[in-house]
Amino acid sequence: MASTALFRRVLALPPHLRRSVYSSTATHTGASQPDIYDVVCIGGGPVGLSFVSALRSHPSTSALRVALIDSQDLSTARTTKDTETYSNRCSSITPASLRFLKQIGAWEHAKRGRTQPYHAMDVWDGVSGSKIHFDSVDQQQTGLLDAVAEMIPGSRFQASRRKYQVEDVGVATMCENANTTSALLQRLHDLDEERLNERRVFDMLEKTRVESIDLGPESKDEKSLDLSQWPIVTTSHGKIAARLLVGADGANSPVRQFADIPSPGWDYNQHGVVATLHVDRHHTVQDLRTAYQRFLPTGPVALLPLPGNKASLVWSTTPQHAAKLKTLSPPDFTAAVNAAFRLMPVDISYMLSPTSTTTPTDELAWRETATPAASTGLPRNFPRIASVQEGSIASFPLRMRHADTYTGHRIALIGDAAHTIHPLAGQGLNLGLADAESLAKRIAYGVDHGMDVGSCWTLDGYNSDRWAKNNAVIGVVDKLSKVYGVGSGPVVWGRSAGVEVLERLGTLKGWMMGAAAGVK
Amino acid sequence: MRKRTRPAVMNGQISQRTFQRLLALPPPLRLRTFSILNRPPPNYAGHVPLTLVERGALALGSAFGSLRNPHRHDLIASLGEATAKPYFISRLRKAMLANPTGRRILRDKPRITSQTMSLEWLRQLPDNTVGRAYAAWLDREGVTPDTRDQVRYIDDPEEAYVMQRYRETHDFTHAITGLPVIIEGELAVKAFEFANTLLPMTALSLVAVVRLKAAERKRFFETYLPWAVSNGLKAEEVVNVYWEEELETDVEVLRARLGIEVPPDLREIRKVLRDKNKADMAARDAKNRLGAGMGV
Repeated sequence: MASTALFRRVLALPPHLRRSVYSSTATHTGASQPDIYDVVCIGGGPVGLSFVSALRSHPSTSALRVALIDSQDLSTARTTKDTETYSNRCSSITPASLRFLKQIGAWEHAKRGRTQPYHAMDVWDGVSGSKIHFDSVDQQQTGLLDAVAEMIPGSRFQASRRKYQVEDVGVATMCENANTTSALLQRLHDLDEERLNERRVFDMLEKTRVESIDLGPESKDEKSLDLSQWPIVTTSHGKIAARLLVGADGANSPVRQFADIPSPGWDYNQHGVVATLHVDRHHTVQDLRTAYQRFLPTGPVALLPLPGNKASLVWSTTPQHAAKLKTLSPPDFTAAVNAAFRLMPVDISYMLSPTSTTTPTDELAWRETATPAASTGLPRNFPRIASVQEGSIASFPLRMRHADTYTGHRIALIGDAAHTIHPLAGQGLNLGLADAESLAKRIAYGVDHGMDVGSCWTLDGYNSDRWAKNNAVIGVVDKLSKVYGVGSGPVVWGRSAGVEVLERLGTLKGWMMGAAAGVK
Repeated sequence: MRKRTRPAVMNGQISQRTFQRLLALPPPLRLRTFSILNRPPPNYAGHVPLTLVERGALALGSAFGSLRNPHRHDLIASLGEATAKPYFISRLRKAMLANPTGRRILRDKPRITSQTMSLEWLRQLPDNTVGRAYAAWLDREGVTPDTRDQVRYIDDPEEAYVMQRYRETHDFTHAITGLPVIIEGELAVKAFEFANTLLPMTALSLVAVVRLKAAERKRFFETYLPWAVSNGLKAEEVVNVYWEEELETDVEVLRARLGIEVPPDLREIRKVLRDKNKADMAARDAKNRLGAGMGV
């Protein structure tokens, strides 16, 4: 009798308390039993956030229990309201990545006034001056049939030509990393708001440090849960078990170390100096912008456009030059950047050597008169850098790493955890976003086909989809940096001849642009 | 002949748009294909832009002309200018730009002429100074720092100045090595300059070895050529020396700083040999006359 009354009282309890009485896997037990999630993503950068957004946006995977762990306070990852200052951490987002961000519904939350699409790219050799010009406007269909079709608007002929038109998305879009991150966070927040009535399945664990990652303990007996093959993440707030642990946690990924996946590679003897610059002319939203890159023997220097009169600098150079650049006063730094695009390599090296006795401003004023623009290959529309934004000069060491595999048992790596690349082609973030897209698709496929999302059935597809493509891009970028690291001799002649030929072969150039844009 | 009225620069652009532009090689090897009827404007006073064919003809003509008559310094000068591009004069200019003193020389662009080098002042300098050695050498050889030929056939004004500077400091190289202006001495200096500056004209002038007598040639290959090559290679770039500031420096100090050893004094050797020959000839003459008198 007493047991029936007790039983009835237990049944009267709310479900989660009822469960805790008769189930051994309670949701609110002590630290001994870890909280089980379907997907745990460690890393709240743009790649991790886009991966989680993709999972949450896709109908097949929106019911999975997902956790995102980051040690920083993600709510502060917002752009400033000030339209005059831009962060020095900007990325060039290719059309394919942009399509992914639009698909998951994050791009509409980005502050569009702070992004800058650009339609052309001028790349030239600092030693020989041979140049190549990429123009997405050229890639538009401008044949005879299209011209005829435009003359008969509303016709079926015009509609049939439309399907051959390539959407003009430009070469790429410059966007601050903080802008992308805040857009993704906003999307996640909106998705949570939409599904307020449903059971809460998404937990964003910010300001949570990962203390260790281990495999679970051996199960006590046959009936209790066996987590011995599951990764258990010990955080400052407790333990979390993951059916699939995704590492989006950067170049020194703890997830990759836990999985014992080697990541061979080498350090380039270069540092990337970034800064936000002001150029001499103001651009409106309608202006077509150009990105510029000059290959010097010490490393490439790139000027990427931002809205208005701003631009982002990425200059890969020797550690000694980078150290000197960071000690220069703002006018001298501006002169050094102008010199990097206009003067001969010997002058730039002299300007940044520790033993130079004259200021860069002085040297630039003299050497510019003696260096004709035509001989160095300077593009005609190249702007003059007027000043540098205060406090925006920073540098980071450059290296190349590629993980041997992206997956393990219940482990997947995306973004910088899987690969690190030279910034000369602006592909780092884009490869990461493509990884996130591919992994999310494979997880959706796994869920639709009843697979365990952490098993090799789901994950092998991700590895085979992304590893070879990333390897090819990393390899090509590495060889480019090595070929352009030579200062004189037959290699210079060979690469100049190659560039001149490529400049004149429109089809090959178009194919290259498509490959760089990640168009499938 | 119909005179074209379009400006030369625009014509240059039109010729660029032609078919030849498509086959143009990268800048270091680009053929300057502009019409001789419409030369581009000069880049500096006295500049004469040349086409590749004209430059080749100038090089060949100067080479053979100066071989036939080594006193034609204007032909040697034009040979130097015609063969300096595309790589050699650029390399020399970059070597100057990489050196702090060389950069100062390119900024100040000093010229060495009879006006800027006052011989009276140089003669009264102390004996062991560079300036005194220079003045002494000029007096010994009987030459003056007269204005050298102006550079005309090099297109870039800065590279033209580098060539002019090389030409004007050639006498200083003579002075600190002590080599005379006779062909043998000139060839030794040219060999040294080739090892030091890599200008093709200096190597091409060595063809004048065929004009030397057998004994001179032997002396050249045994002594002076090895000296020139080893010293030219190990010495600092002589074009980077700011001679106007080094006039009061001790010669030994400068030589030590540059890494140059003094070769055997050529005039002394020749004088000794000449005296010895004269003595031998006189002895033979005397013996003959004596022998004739004795009826032997």
